Amino acid sequence: MTTRATRSPRRRTVVALAVILSILGAFIVRLVDIQIVSADDRVAESMHYLGAGTEIPGQRGSIVDANGTVLAQSVMVYDVNIDPKAMSAVESNEKNPPKRPWADASEQIAAIIGKTGDEVRAIVDAAVADNPDSRYALLAQGLSTEQYISLRDLDLAYLHVDSRETRVYPNGAVAGNVIGFLNSDGEAQAGIEEMEGQCLSPTDGERSYRRGKDGVVIPGSERVVDAVDGGTVQLTINSDLQWYMQQMIAEEAQAQGAQGGTVTVVEVKTGKIRAAAEWPTVDPNDLNASAPDTWYSKLFTYPFEPGSTFKAITAAAVIENAGVTPTSPTVSASSREKLPNGQVINDAFPHPTYNYTLAGALIDSSNVALSKFGTMVSPDVRYDYLQRFGVGTPTVGFPSESAGVLHPTSEWDDRSIYTTTFGQHFSVTAPQVAGAYQAIANGGEKIGLSLIESCTDADGTVHKAPEAEREQIIKPETAAELTRMLENVAVQGGNAERIQVPGYRVTSKTGTAEISDGHGGLKRGVYYTSMVGFAPVDDPQYVVIVTLDQPTRVTSSAATASAFQKAMTQVMKTYRVMPSSTPMDALLPKFD
Amino acid sequence: MSLNAVRAPRTTPAAPATAPRPRLEPVASPAARRKPKLMYALVALGGAVAIGAAQIGLSLAITQDSFTLAGLSSQQRELDLRTQALQEDLTGLSSPQALASSAAGLGMIVAGSPSYLRLSDGAVFGAGTGSGWASTVDPNGSGAVSNSLLSSQAAGGAEATATDDEAEAASQAEQLPPAITDGLPSPTTR
Repeated sequence: MTTRATRSPRRRTVVALAVILSILGAFIVRLVDIQIVSADDRVAESMHYLGAGTEIPGQRGSIVDANGTVLAQSVMVYDVNIDPKAMSAVESNEKNPPKRPWADASEQIAAIIGKTGDEVRAIVDAAVADNPDSRYALLAQGLSTEQYISLRDLDLAYLHVDSRETRVYPNGAVAGNVIGFLNSDGEAQAGIEEMEGQCLSPTDGERSYRRGKDGVVIPGSERVVDAVDGGTVQLTINSDLQWYMQQMIAEEAQAQGAQGGTVTVVEVKTGKIRAAAEWPTVDPNDLNASAPDTWYSKLFTYPFEPGSTFKAITAAAVIENAGVTPTSPTVSASSREKLPNGQVINDAFPHPTYNYTLAGALIDSSNVALSKFGTMVSPDVRYDYLQRFGVGTPTVGFPSESAGVLHPTSEWDDRSIYTTTFGQHFSVTAPQVAGAYQAIANGGEKIGLSLIESCTDADGTVHKAPEAEREQIIKPETAAELTRMLENVAVQGGNAERIQVPGYRVTSKTGTAEISDGHGGLKRGVYYTSMVGFAPVDDPQYVVIVTLDQPTRVTSSAATASAFQKAMTQVMKTYRVMPSSTPMDALLPKFD
Repeated sequence: MSLNAVRAPRTTPAAPATAPRPRLEPVASPAARRKPKLMYALVALGGAVAIGAAQIGLSLAITQDSFTLAGLSSQQRELDLRTQALQEDLTGLSSPQALASSAAGLGMIVAGSPSYLRLSDGAVFGAGTGSGWASTVDPNGSGAVSNSLLSSQAAGGAEATATDDEAEAASQAEQLPPAITDGLPSPTTR
């Protein structure tokens, strides 16, 4: 039984309890809010006042060639500065005179950093004259480790050395255009440096701690996250072969009075690019030594009309779709003919009317005969073959790589219906030509070209480059017939004597492209010439393509013969390719 | 609830059964006080000392180790620096340009097509012509692949010797075919 007397204190208790509980509840809600709901924000906010730390820079990865030779690496260089105020304090300390007085020390510093003692003293005096309390005067930048060690061994308290990372290319201009370079901030600007940036870039680490009110490090708050160095990129390039090709093409291009030249070497069985040489080139250690337009790769970025080298692709299309064989049927062709739709096509040299076989048309590189053979199949079929052989598709994904231009057949006019049979009205890069011939050499199986072998992380994990795409684009028999005809081109063609590689059976095909003068017309009398081929014929191992930009000594594609011969010889030697052991089949007849 | 409920019930203990009183007798001599065992004290003390000594020893060892560690890591830093310095000396010298240039200085050439000899039956593959006197490339010529890491001084020196040696080699070649002193060279057969 409750009475008035007993009810009142109880109600008071309940009310008090309720008040206490609600206050407690409010605190709990706030606590949960602070500690759990918005904890991260608040911690981050507090870190603004509490946190402090320094970055631990990671080192950018190296670029190595197929054999592990380092082509690009990051090293430390040193900048040395002096604290003039500290120096004079040490110098004027009479109780405890310096072991090495400044007059002596400055001479020694000068000897190490390659200046004279007077120069060093002048720098310090200038800094003091500028500001009597000066505590910083830069003495030298970019010192080597050896210089750093000598400076450190002088044991001078007022000398400070800062290290910083710089990029070194031990082989200089060897593969310079392929490797690329960094700008002064260490950002990749071109080539593999740019293409493989993800693999090469380091992840910076951090040393962090919390700071008390007076900047005191709070014990136990120190955390170190180690830096992860960048990975090592391995290329498919062989730097020794690359050196030879660059040296050779530089000599040949200059001998032929050309503006430039390139050599590309591709391994037939794998599609790996073993050399990608060009001249003029760049030494990434010293960009300023060469003109800015040579800093980037022209090989991968410059498309040209291939010309006669793509007659082989027309031949592939007519062999598979019009029942043509290397020896029959024949077409009659003179050196200048008006074709059915009124277009006039010329050959490169005058000759009487011949009944050309397909092999003969390739050997004499007759545009007229190819126009007639090529139009035995529809433009769509030829378009399909050009596409299959890689026209219009970039090869390795090089920065700013050109895919070449392949116009759809609807844009082929009365003239380009014919010119496309002999490699005009579309454009390719030199590696694309090499890729097309790789397919012929490899029994009709095209393997995507590759320039990157692998990326190895700092912890040793190897990431292989994705397996190259393989596709049987023509029948093995067609490839065999093309190979036989191309060998006949090498043996019976105009350059036969100049491209012999003693002991090896080689194929070859020349190409001559007209060059735009930049005003809608064509440059007169100068061409972009090329020669492509593979060897040895009995077991093709390597495709080589040589190009020369506007040779003037000999303006035709014959200019490339000597370079092609040297390049092929060196490739056979470098890879210890066994000389051909089977003799060549009977020569194919050129005419009926 | 009433406190009475938890109050322990008052119980009356039963009177213990009275045992017959023992007879008291005087003791002839007090039992000899047992001598405290010194051994135990010694063991306890020794143990404490051993523990203390071990602890001091351990902490000394740890301190010593950390000194050794510091010493070794500074030694490693020093050696790393030396390695780096030596590697820097090699940079550039290991490049194919430097090698080719030095080889040309010794009168060596980049020859043409190779030939191979099969030891099992002596068959020769390739043209078998041997190399000519001309190099297919001139590493010190106008097409020289540049490398700014090779100091200009070294390159200049190499070039000078190259031209001297080449001239010398060429003149010797014209006058003197290589002499055979030990009979015809033949491969060692197994």
